[in-house]
Amino acid sequence: MSKILDVVNVTAGYGSDVILKDINFEVIDNDFIGVIGPNGGGKTTLLKLLLGEINPFQGHVNFYPSSKDETLFGYLPQVSTIDREFPIKVIDIVLSGLMHRNGLFGGNKNINRKKALEILSTAGVEHLWNYSVGELSGGQLQRVFLCRALISQPRLLILDEPNTYVDNKFEKELYELLRELNKRMAIIMVSHDVGTITSYVKTIACVNRHLHYHRSNKITPEQLAAYECPIQIISHGKIPHTVLLDHRKEAKV
Amino acid sequence: MIAIFKDIFEYQFLMNAVIAAFLVSIVAGIIGTYITSRRLVFLSGGITHASFGGIGIAYFLGFNPVIGAIIFSILSAFGIEALSHRKSMREDSAIGILWAFGMAIGIIFIFLTPGYAPNLLSFLFGSILTVTNADLLSLLALNLSVILFFVLFYRPILYIAFDQEFARTQKIPVTILNYVLITFIAIAIVLSIRVVGIILLISLFTIPPATANIFSNHFGKIIFWSILLSFLGCFFGLLISYGINIPSGAAIVVVLVFMFGIIKALHGLYNWLKRRSSMARNK
Repeated sequence: MSKILDVVNVTAGYGSDVILKDINFEVIDNDFIGVIGPNGGGKTTLLKLLLGEINPFQGHVNFYPSSKDETLFGYLPQVSTIDREFPIKVIDIVLSGLMHRNGLFGGNKNINRKKALEILSTAGVEHLWNYSVGELSGGQLQRVFLCRALISQPRLLILDEPNTYVDNKFEKELYELLRELNKRMAIIMVSHDVGTITSYVKTIACVNRHLHYHRSNKITPEQLAAYECPIQIISHGKIPHTVLLDHRKEAKV
Repeated sequence: MIAIFKDIFEYQFLMNAVIAAFLVSIVAGIIGTYITSRRLVFLSGGITHASFGGIGIAYFLGFNPVIGAIIFSILSAFGIEALSHRKSMREDSAIGILWAFGMAIGIIFIFLTPGYAPNLLSFLFGSILTVTNADLLSLLALNLSVILFFVLFYRPILYIAFDQEFARTQKIPVTILNYVLITFIAIAIVLSIRVVGIILLISLFTIPPATANIFSNHFGKIIFWSILLSFLGCFFGLLISYGINIPSGAAIVVVLVFMFGIIKALHGLYNWLKRRSSMARNK
């Protein structure tokens, strides 16, 4: 078990807006971290920071690759950012996940195609390889995007709200799949749906301008009050249950 | 009709027009597929019209209007590309401003230029029948570079166009490729002005890919069909304009839209028949 990345005293945002203030965070092999927090609290900004899309105003994000040619990230963005009428085939979407390995010119076509079809069949959507984006349902598209994120066998899988636009059946299958994948890779999952993810993730990070993260899967009411985070209290026991607590600030309104 | 075909081989200017139509179709098919897939039609319209400012200034200062147009269109394209990454400016508003400003600069400088501005109308409405050998050579050079670029970087171009954010996480040089592409768009636009003119230019970059998109959802195939449809449109538009003596640019656009309508209708009919037969089978 070794460290994949750490975020040290980072302040970040866009233009003159500070979204995240003085945060510290680390990801270790086989972590399964659920990132929760209110809208506008900085969940997406945190992901952009980890993915290197934005640079911190202050502090550092450090990566610790174990070998030179390992793939650090597999990334599954929010489906809503995608143009569903774009003329691209499923197989090409999956192949785009190999881009950084193959460089700008593409690499070996046949080997790549075989890999892509293999991973599509493990996700149960091999028959869709020749479909275009517009012909897919929300759940199918999520599966295809998951294939794109996984094809390069990343050490860390980053998912941004994978449970939007999908039905309950797919959501459950997805979480089971993630639990399986977690044996091989670390996972960070952003979600607005705290209730469901808590029974699958190992630890929870709460982002609300600041980041509150403890290597624990329990959150006490005292911590919660300090975090000002509108989430459920998670307790693990023999009888599955969740305890809900109002967000203090919201409760006042 | 046969007489016109004979004329093509007899008169150099007609032959040049057909070759120009062919070369422009290739570049417009490739660039147009990219433009329509990424929904950059309005942006391209803005670049097209902004280039008129360069033409006006070139007339006023007495240098080649095509050079002026290329400088203006590249600058405006870069300006829009850079502005679009800032949250402070809405992209379509920025395009609208550049669109109008370019045209206004063009009009002012042409008005200030003493004497008669030759070929002004040919820039606005196209003049495929006066294409020179030098025009053909520059079109050929553009074609070769666009084809080479798209063949070499087909996959990264496709991936960036589809999902820029993901492409960035894959360490693809997204920003550089975007600037190269926008430069190609700007140059392709200016060199195609000859064929249909500024006012109708956007037709060549949008109607053929939109038509191909009716029956294909594959980026590469849309490029192929766009080139073919674009050439057919240019060729028959040219014949009609020559035959009944109407402006060629307008004739080309009408033919292109006509083809779009026919293919749309045929596709609708095909789907209807397919639905009906599957319903009949289910009974």
